[in-house]
Amino acid sequence: MNQNRVYEYRRNFIMSLGGVAAVGVIGSGFVLQTASAAGEIAAKPADQPVTNAKRWGMLIDVTKLTDGGAAMVAACKQEHGWGDEMHSADAQKAHWSRVVKVTDKLTQNSFSLPVMCQHCEKPPCVDVCPTGASMKRADGIVQVNKHICIGCRYCMMACPYKARSFVHEPLQDQKPHSPRGMGTVESCNMCVHRIDEGRLPACVEAAPDAVIFGDLNDPNSAVSQAMKTVGGKQIRADLGLNTGVRYHGI
Amino acid sequence: MTSKLSSVFLAATLAFATLLAGCGKAPMEADLNLATAKAKSEQCVEPENVIRTKHMDLLMHKRDATVIEGIRTTQHSLKECINCHVSTTKQDGTPLHYGDKEHFCTTCHVAVGQKIDCFQCHADRPQIDQDPNYQHTVGSAAGHHFTQGVTAAAAPTVAEIKMVAQPQQGAAK
Repeated sequence: MNQNRVYEYRRNFIMSLGGVAAVGVIGSGFVLQTASAAGEIAAKPADQPVTNAKRWGMLIDVTKLTDGGAAMVAACKQEHGWGDEMHSADAQKAHWSRVVKVTDKLTQNSFSLPVMCQHCEKPPCVDVCPTGASMKRADGIVQVNKHICIGCRYCMMACPYKARSFVHEPLQDQKPHSPRGMGTVESCNMCVHRIDEGRLPACVEAAPDAVIFGDLNDPNSAVSQAMKTVGGKQIRADLGLNTGVRYHGI
Repeated sequence: MTSKLSSVFLAATLAFATLLAGCGKAPMEADLNLATAKAKSEQCVEPENVIRTKHMDLLMHKRDATVIEGIRTTQHSLKECINCHVSTTKQDGTPLHYGDKEHFCTTCHVAVGQKIDCFQCHADRPQIDQDPNYQHTVGSAAGHHFTQGVTAAAAPTVAEIKMVAQPQQGAAK
């Protein structure tokens, strides 16, 4: 254990050195992996409410996702236990996250990217919810408060990213950290239970070289720095939603 | 007028008495192996009488604090109730769910005829594969309030269990 701590300390130290060194050569290469390895998400004290001091977000480098994000989706399934609904038709199945293939009609250039809740600053799903169940947490995470969700699915209609799905059938043996049940809408919640513990979301862990996760409010955070360097595109930027999930290479 | 009032009062008293008599049919303390439970009750987050009368309020308050504000303390957390009080399997080794009479929550909720909605979404038993160190200290399999006693006492009828749990169709498949 102690030995591991030492290694971890050394690794972090070397990583930070690497980060400093990489700043000099930013023109030649993209430094996503260096930054993401830092894992700079600090644990909030469990008894303190979240504040708007931070806004969580991530930058996904699509060019580094060799599988188009399938591993990220698989990690999400594993973490939250969705995707094995037995009685739902294919069109009704849960999709907290999915791989979307995009092809340019003119050039036939094609790539895939994982699409999940984009955690908008101004979420349309929150605007339309009649009960307040679709909500944005103070730290920018958009989620469904299933305790007061009545299953009207208005948010599913409002979401421009088709990020939400509805549970059509009774479920059993859900994950203790991720309750989900019939009659409620669900979507990516950026693994709130992990973030509150200071851990990275499951999909970020599954693709450490391609995704940087961090605080968008902090200009010095790895994710902010990476976006400053390479830019981060929003899907449907024309809607002006200021999404928390950004992409590079689309 | 007075007679009307008194007759109403009498009816109410009778109804209450019937209710009490109904409670009398519940397993007596002597039938139940309460030693473990009593020893462990001091480790619970609140005194037993507070938990019995107020657990729903505590859980209601806690759920909003958790979902909206991200306060994830173990105090009054449903997950911790389950971890501590519910066994993962029945005594014959099959998975234990809230529709079963051995389930910690169901034992009481059957007796008072109160439906539980929590477990339509929440996990109704600890997941050892997720967390091998779950706090299974009280452990119904080790002899808790009703799990030992209920087998000896009159078991709740199928209708009673259905009323409480109401497993949705397809859940058992």
